[in-house]
Amino acid sequence: MVHGNSRLLPADIEASTAIQQTITTSAGLPVALFDEFLDQPRFGGQVYEETFLAYLREKYADRKPEVIVAAGEDALRVLLTYRSRVFSGVPIVHLAVSSAFLRSHAPVPPDVVGVPGEIDFSATVEQALRWHPKARILVVVTGVSRWDREWEGRAREEGARFQESVTIEALSGLSTAKVLQRLSELGDDAVVFSPGYFEDGDHRVFAPRESIAAMAAASRAPIYGPFNTHLGLGIVGGYSWRFADAGIQAAMIVNDLLAGTPPSALRLPEEMPTTLNLDWRQMRRWGIDEKALPPGSVVHFRVPTFLDEHGGTVAIVVAIFLLQAGLIAGLVLERFRRRSAEQIAQKQANELAHASRLALAGELTGAIAHEINQPLGAILSNAEAGELVLASGSDHREKLQAILADIRRDDQRASDVIRRLRGLLSRHEVERLPFGVDKALGDLRSTLAAEARRRGVTLEVHPTSADATIVGDRVQMQQVLINLVMNAMDAVAGLPEDRRRVVVATIVTPDLITITVRDQGRGIAPEHMSRVFDSFFTTKPTGMGLGLSIAHTLVRSHGGRIWAESDPPEGAVFHLELPVASEKGSTSPEPA
Amino acid sequence: MNESPLIHVVDDDESLRTAVLRLLDAAGLEAIGYASTGDFLLNPPPDRHGCVVLDVRMPGPSGLDLQAALQRLGVALPVVFLTAYADAASTLQAMKAGAVDVLAKPVDRDTLLDALRRALARDALQRTARDEARRLRERFDSLTPRERQVFDRVIAGKVSKQIADELGIGERTVKTERAQVMTKLGVGSAAELGRLAERLAQLSIQ
Repeated sequence: MVHGNSRLLPADIEASTAIQQTITTSAGLPVALFDEFLDQPRFGGQVYEETFLAYLREKYADRKPEVIVAAGEDALRVLLTYRSRVFSGVPIVHLAVSSAFLRSHAPVPPDVVGVPGEIDFSATVEQALRWHPKARILVVVTGVSRWDREWEGRAREEGARFQESVTIEALSGLSTAKVLQRLSELGDDAVVFSPGYFEDGDHRVFAPRESIAAMAAASRAPIYGPFNTHLGLGIVGGYSWRFADAGIQAAMIVNDLLAGTPPSALRLPEEMPTTLNLDWRQMRRWGIDEKALPPGSVVHFRVPTFLDEHGGTVAIVVAIFLLQAGLIAGLVLERFRRRSAEQIAQKQANELAHASRLALAGELTGAIAHEINQPLGAILSNAEAGELVLASGSDHREKLQAILADIRRDDQRASDVIRRLRGLLSRHEVERLPFGVDKALGDLRSTLAAEARRRGVTLEVHPTSADATIVGDRVQMQQVLINLVMNAMDAVAGLPEDRRRVVVATIVTPDLITITVRDQGRGIAPEHMSRVFDSFFTTKPTGMGLGLSIAHTLVRSHGGRIWAESDPPEGAVFHLELPVASEKGSTSPEPA
Repeated sequence: MNESPLIHVVDDDESLRTAVLRLLDAAGLEAIGYASTGDFLLNPPPDRHGCVVLDVRMPGPSGLDLQAALQRLGVALPVVFLTAYADAASTLQAMKAGAVDVLAKPVDRDTLLDALRRALARDALQRTARDEARRLRERFDSLTPRERQVFDRVIAGKVSKQIADELGIGERTVKTERAQVMTKLGVGSAAELGRLAERLAQLSIQ
């Protein structure tokens, strides 16, 4: 493979690499590939070329190549010029050679084959002007080497087409400093086209990519160029074919030739297909809409978005996230359902507690009637006595005043009873409010005094030593206490008078208050002990067996405990343990 | 019997007791209040025309207990029960034990006074019967054993001859004794004596 340029030119490296990777084997034997470089355009001239060819002839005297690849027009030109002397009869495959060059060297021998590569200046400029409609100046930068001059001529030739829309400013043969100075003065009314240059006006030598990089750094206007190898240096891009593709194309021809296909039998494309290669970063810099690209454009250096780069991971993460979210949503829904179920259960428990209170009140009917009718009877008798006193005509002012005072007092008594009852009977929302234990015990005594009297039971209710406050629903706690005392009174029914005693007492510690309800009844049989709080367990002939079960539930819902002790025939003790509110009266209500 | 009645009110509820006493006072009836069954029993009423107003339900012994105790003690005052909650069982028990009435509180004046009138009427009746029986008993008790023997046989429908034979005494003696019996018992004929004997039998049963 003979390269027109130096070994370090990216275009040549790209092509060479592609050829090495594409050339297969020849009849099962590995193909040896040797690269030679003409180092054009820095070194040239007939003497040099002849010496170079002589060197090749000597070098490959014993290793006559089967195919020669000419990379670039300079290489092909030299090989064709000296073909009669060096490697005569060896087929030549060219790459990166324009049709114009081939035409100018016609007729090309039939064993010199290849796919010409056109570098489309006009298409690139047209596209650039479409993207930069404000552009009025087309700056073409070239150098002073022969190769540079060729490009300059070509740009002038083809640029004539655009003279109607833009002024063409050719920066040719200037020093790099001047070129860069000029480029830095450009505004958004300019577009730059440059293939790079090998030599500037000061005869300083460059690799074209070095010149391009310098121009891109200085220019205030977008730079377009014909080489895809210059992408990434700061140019926007341009129509080109890839040197790698040219290498692959050449290698495929080499493969065919080595396989014995005659050059005339090769079916080759007219020319290398060009594509618009663009630098994504420059497009963004110059505000080129990615959506406005011609079909078939190739965008390079696209900074991968997070999704582009980690798409798979992201997909997995998203999937996991969604799964988790679904799981969480499921759990939340489950929790919500359970909560509603709990609320329904709570509601039912409340209903049951209420029903149980109604039943309790039913048992208390006699006592309640007594408590209400007693003051009502007194009121009626007083009122009628008052009427008689008035009818008697004489002045009984004092007597009437006493009567009215008593009526007022009895009325209060009756309404107190009704108020207590209403509290017990009402179907209320469960509260979580602080209340004093002593007040509750006082209510308990008032509510049950008449019943105890009716049953001939002595009911003793001892207040706490230090009034403790608990948080909860006082009606429900009242219900529990009434239930326990009623049970205790049941337990002593029919016993001698000295045993018909029920004592309610308390033990207060800083954290807990324990209310005990003690009777001297027959006690709880050991075999019944474990079942006293079970639903529908009862030893009473007419009992439902729900009172203690409900009491148990209510105490539990207050964060307390309830348990029984009994040592028959010494009677039974029920313990009701509840947490004490931290500071008397200061406990804020907790949400239920 | 012109004795004015005395009404005993037994109720543990001071307010109600006071009100009832006031009402009775205004209605022109003399009344005494007691706070409990024990209070009443510790202050036995004088043997005077009257009746008892009793609360069925009281701490300690109930009104029903007192009713029974009064009967055991031979205090024959009629009882009117007042109850704040009239359950069938205690009402039945009270009526069986001879209560005049069981009244539900609150009781209006007319109902209460009507019951009291009936109770007092019954007391008056009982008192009259008791007085009569006592008088009869006193008379009867004044008979000598011989006179009682003659009395028994006269009311059994026997003639003097038969009595004389049975007792082994003379017929004249029998006639003298019979005249003596009729004088002592205050009757003028054998028929009257027979009715008296019937009455006496009734009273002694009671």
